[in-house]
Amino acid sequence: MRSAWRAELLKITTVRGLWLSAVLAAVAIPTTSLLVVSTGGLGARDTATSGAATGSLIGLLAYGAWGATFAAGEYAQRTMVVSLATVPRRAVLYAAKLAATATAAAAGAVVASGVALLTVLAVTPRGEHELGNPAALIGVVLAVVAVAVCGTAVGMLTRSPSGSIAIVVVALLAPKAASGLLGGLQRWVVGASPDTVITQIVGGAQLPAEQAFPHGAWAAAATMVLVGAAVSVAGFVSFLWRDG
Amino acid sequence: MTTSAGGRSTAAIVVEDATKVIDGVTVLDRVSFSAQPGRVTAFLGPNGAGKSTMLRAILGIDRLTSGRTMIGGRPFREHRRPIEVAGALLTPDSAHPRRTARGHLAVVATSNGLPQASVERMLDLVGLGAIADLPVGQMSLGMQQRLGLATALVGDPAVVILDEPHNGLDAAAIRWLRGVLRALADAGRTVLVSSHLMSEIELVGDDIVVIGGGRIRAASTLADFLGDGPGTARVPLEDRYLELVGEL
Repeated sequence: MRSAWRAELLKITTVRGLWLSAVLAAVAIPTTSLLVVSTGGLGARDTATSGAATGSLIGLLAYGAWGATFAAGEYAQRTMVVSLATVPRRAVLYAAKLAATATAAAAGAVVASGVALLTVLAVTPRGEHELGNPAALIGVVLAVVAVAVCGTAVGMLTRSPSGSIAIVVVALLAPKAASGLLGGLQRWVVGASPDTVITQIVGGAQLPAEQAFPHGAWAAAATMVLVGAAVSVAGFVSFLWRDG
Repeated sequence: MTTSAGGRSTAAIVVEDATKVIDGVTVLDRVSFSAQPGRVTAFLGPNGAGKSTMLRAILGIDRLTSGRTMIGGRPFREHRRPIEVAGALLTPDSAHPRRTARGHLAVVATSNGLPQASVERMLDLVGLGAIADLPVGQMSLGMQQRLGLATALVGDPAVVILDEPHNGLDAAAIRWLRGVLRALADAGRTVLVSSHLMSEIELVGDDIVVIGGGRIRAASTLADFLGDGPGTARVPLEDRYLELVGEL
């Protein structure tokens, strides 16, 4: 499994488009935070920590699309046949792919969150915003990893880079966009969507009560992880069914 | 897997009653044959005969409807370090076009815990050392075939499976490949190669398996297939083959 995981990481680092898009996804997080902060976008109740998380939605979209491209690209570029011939155990290959995605996304999100916090602290006037709890930025890392892994699973499901990117984008944006249609489910669906999970963990920005998860931020995070696990299982079942 | 006198691991390919039905069409119909260590087994058949499907099934890439395939006494995917058991060239365009030849081989080697030295050795063997850092998409078909062969051999496997490796090769490369196939078999490896190049098969093959319409039409030594015995005139492979599978 370790060798397969290292090979999947090597797949990322040996194709410029793949590693560059992962880097750009990470860069997008502090860049967006910088734009928000420098244009006066932080509210009075925001902290430096919540300011650092303002770029997270862009990061989620970018990492989700990246994970989808990484997986579906194996089919689009017809490289999957070599992967199947060299790592023929489907569970090992699939797990290695998800683990490599998670590793790259986690590394990028940790660095991006740290840089975003330092950027916000550097840009905002001293004392204007409290620091908040920087450790809460683990929520950004958790959400980015969950979305990137989901993107990879969706990529394995659809085998189409553009199709899987579209699904990831809709899955991330639709809950909030269609929140009015969800009625009583709004707190569960919107509350557990990755962007809202981050908002609940880092605090700061006001979240409408009807969109806050019923059992708190960490329960929302756990639900998000469970949904991610379910999508991953669906991807694996599809992989076994079609390539088993 | 067994070990030969020279210390090399050897493994036979065994196919038993392999049947594959796709959308109601029987692509493979109770196919049985074997390929033995130390021999080049030619796998021949017209386009659409089921050759590639059979080779993919041996490697566990395609699932059979019924029957089984084994390498070294067990299904390929049950081996712990698969590329040391069997290496394959199934299609020349199976490397990412933006990845370099060196990067592609490094991914394959790393997936089975092999050192970078095995990558460099293969690049030298197939003559791609000088262009190892060129993206695969910028390589000619012949170069991609060489990379595919390197991919198959990077694990120094006991079994080598090659699907139409002559495609895109120039005359010099075809001669070079002939030597490689012979050397692989002489070193105790099992070589299973599909090709439409009858003249090459006639030069390098030891055994022959002919498939047509998803069924085995012949499976014997090449000499027996060609009637190459005392008092009998050897028939050219192309004639004997077309006689068996029919002409257009």
